[in-house]
Amino acid sequence: MHEIGVRETVNFLGLTFNIETLKMTWLAMGIVILVACLATRNLKVVPQGWQNFVEMIILWLHDQIDAMMGKRGRMLAPFIVGLFMFLLASNLIGLVPLMASPTNDLNTTLGLALLVVCIVHCLGLYFKGGHYIAHFFQPTPVFVVINMIEEIAKPITLAFRLFGNILAGEILIIVLLKLMPIWMPIPSVAWLAFSIFISCVQAVIFTMLSMAYLANAVREDHAE
Amino acid sequence: MIEINATILAQILNFLILVVLLRAVAYKPVARLLQQRSDKIKGDIDKAEADRKAAEQTLAQYKAQLSDAQQKAQAIVDKANLAARQEHDAAVEETRKEIERMKQSAQAEIESERNRAFEEMKSQIVSLSMAAAGKIVSKNIDTKENDKLVNDFISKLDKSMFADLK
Repeated sequence: MHEIGVRETVNFLGLTFNIETLKMTWLAMGIVILVACLATRNLKVVPQGWQNFVEMIILWLHDQIDAMMGKRGRMLAPFIVGLFMFLLASNLIGLVPLMASPTNDLNTTLGLALLVVCIVHCLGLYFKGGHYIAHFFQPTPVFVVINMIEEIAKPITLAFRLFGNILAGEILIIVLLKLMPIWMPIPSVAWLAFSIFISCVQAVIFTMLSMAYLANAVREDHAE
Repeated sequence: MIEINATILAQILNFLILVVLLRAVAYKPVARLLQQRSDKIKGDIDKAEADRKAAEQTLAQYKAQLSDAQQKAQAIVDKANLAARQEHDAAVEETRKEIERMKQSAQAEIESERNRAFEEMKSQIVSLSMAAAGKIVSKNIDTKENDKLVNDFISKLDKSMFADLK
């Protein structure tokens, strides 16, 4: 980031793009794909090295998916695995000097949140049909207002939580580096360490909340 | 700082591309591998269980065969014992009969021997008596009279004198 809050933009086909965000997104995607390729290049039935790490992530997510969503959730497993790995990579590359997180741009986080919410509603309609629409009007039709506010709040909170956390982390790194003399690195190093933690936690939170929302739509509800 | 523009569409597209790529490159192989591994473990466990059952069955079979063999061996021993006893009894019986037979033949021989001795003695007594009598009455008695006399004497002697020999 060169100057806080100012983004380079390019115009393409009459549309405006934040070019730095896109570059960093592609970098994050590249890292994710590279890690995935390296980890799965030489798969063996008896795991070894990186394979353990990838298997650990996938098994953990499978457990979460099975617990929250039931059988249908397995279909969404690649989406969730991808979401988690992409967010983790995105959040972490912002901590490298001269780089920025794609997730410090609201376009990225809101885009992902809207994508999740769209998938939730599509799957809800696909699996439950009329029941899915009906449950917005329960227990009484008046509740539709509250339910609508909740549904609208979902993507907004999801997007702004991640965006705010990551942007704040990066701003504070820059501020600390400017405030502190070069011989006093402790505050910025401490904040950097905390940012690593925050990056991981935010990736987990975004993924878990997405799973929770998706679970509502996908889970077989015996009560209905 | 917070401005929504076409980047949002690009980001959605980017992420969808990433998901598709990841699914093809990483998720599918790993999930397949995990499935393979769980299948393999399940297969191994099933196989171990089957092997254990087979081993138990074989053991039971062997035990049954062993006890069967023991029973058969016992039967053979019993049969042999019985046969030996029968043979022994038969041999004893045979020996007893043999002894009996030998005893009888010995008695018969004794009898015949005694008869023969008796006849011999009788003839010797006759000749001795004849010789003795001849010497005593050599002058006046003729042979006819003599024979008659001697025979009478002998037949009397037969009953009275040798009664204890019988």
